[in-house]
Amino acid sequence: MSTSEGQLVVMGATLQGFAQACVNLNIIAGRETSGALTEIDIMSFVPFERLREIERIVLMVYEDSGPILERVGFEMMMGWYRFGPGKHIVKTGADFLRFQTGSQGYASVVKGPESKVGIFRLQELDEKKGTALIHSTTPFEKNLERGVIIGGMTAPGDLDYVEVVNTQDPQWFNIEFH
Amino acid sequence: MTLDELFALSKVPTPIELSQEDLTRLYWKHRGLLKSQGRDQRFWDATNKNLRLAYERLDEKERQLGKAYSIIQEDLQVATRIQAALLPVPTSIMERDLEIAVYHKQLTEVGGDYYDFFTDESEAADGRNADGYAIGVFDISGHGVSAALVMTYLKAMFAQQMLRSTSPKDIVRSVNEAAFDFLRGIKKYATVNFVKFASKKIQYVCGGGFGLVVHGQEVFHFERKDPFLGLRDRAFRQYEIPFVTGDLLALYTDGMVESQDAEGQDYTARRLNDLIALHADRAVGEIVQCCVDDYRAFRATDIDDVTLLVMRRKEAL
Repeated sequence: MSTSEGQLVVMGATLQGFAQACVNLNIIAGRETSGALTEIDIMSFVPFERLREIERIVLMVYEDSGPILERVGFEMMMGWYRFGPGKHIVKTGADFLRFQTGSQGYASVVKGPESKVGIFRLQELDEKKGTALIHSTTPFEKNLERGVIIGGMTAPGDLDYVEVVNTQDPQWFNIEFH
Repeated sequence: MTLDELFALSKVPTPIELSQEDLTRLYWKHRGLLKSQGRDQRFWDATNKNLRLAYERLDEKERQLGKAYSIIQEDLQVATRIQAALLPVPTSIMERDLEIAVYHKQLTEVGGDYYDFFTDESEAADGRNADGYAIGVFDISGHGVSAALVMTYLKAMFAQQMLRSTSPKDIVRSVNEAAFDFLRGIKKYATVNFVKFASKKIQYVCGGGFGLVVHGQEVFHFERKDPFLGLRDRAFRQYEIPFVTGDLLALYTDGMVESQDAEGQDYTARRLNDLIALHADRAVGEIVQCCVDDYRAFRATDIDDVTLLVMRRKEAL
């Protein structure tokens, strides 16, 4: 890892997936595109700030950025499943939720000081009722995270219905799936 | 029939019989599609809203650009008029002594080619004192407003130096000395053709310009070995050529001679010189027109400012 101690870092592949999703959706274009995708070593951890830079572009350009970031998160996880390691890690939508137990999924792609890195943890899961609860204190934008959950659960293709709601408290994601 | 079997069909079978489990799945699939459609709708609404905003911003930028362009165009029109106003008209003494014809065309609204008639009023006041006037032809590097500004600067410098010296080489050297650091600083230079008229001869300094004299049956080409203004800080050489009644003097910049035809062939100074010499017995206006016609027929497109001055000595001084 070539980043300095105490710095928040993200897996290069995650940044690549995020940037690629933005490019595929034509959310960022032109000069910003080449800047976002250049020199990303997908096997290394890179400063989280690089992801934040792209996120800032979206927030700056779009007046209503919520649905856009949600779609970016969704596309990012579809790419993770189709072209990345996703299909080897999760076989069903519920697997994706279980992968978040103890923040293990999140911890595999983001590292840094505890105070900055936060958690992305499965708190409850009732597969029979088709409900779950995820608590997130990460520095990621919450619309993006909602899209990540929807995309991660939808990608395996076994679920007919996925709904994620965090309107009451952005850090608590209420999930319903069937 | 299961729900998956039903979805695999291309037509709706009648009657449809589904288990409770499949009906439940159908229900959730329907709800799921509605959710997905809702998310798509929100995404496209946000995208369209952004597109509308982008168009509004683009319109605003276009308005601003249009305004800025209009201001620049107005400025350029004024600059064109100023530059045209700065071009000289021959003094009464020059008109008495010389037949003069000029072709001068800038590539853009304002340009870097420039010619001037200089008169030392104190000498000219003596009546027939030919040392009282000179002609300069200059080509400032580049085009546009910056070249035009250098032109006005050089015009003032030459006018000033004409008052201090009568020798062409001293005048050109003094201007070069004074302007050298300035021209180097702004990365500009200028070719110079400075001709002073004396009794039965001309004295000239030539740094990069073009000139020839048709004296009877002889043709003298200007020596072009001296540097451009602003290129070297050193002395200039001065040459003399006989110039008596009926003799022809032509001065020009590189605009014509460096033009090319559609095949990329150069027009060349030789072609222009030969043309001038061939028609030397005609009126100066006709000679200029003949050269311009030949140039226009030859060149594929104008690539530079063009200046050509042709003059004939009317009577012995």
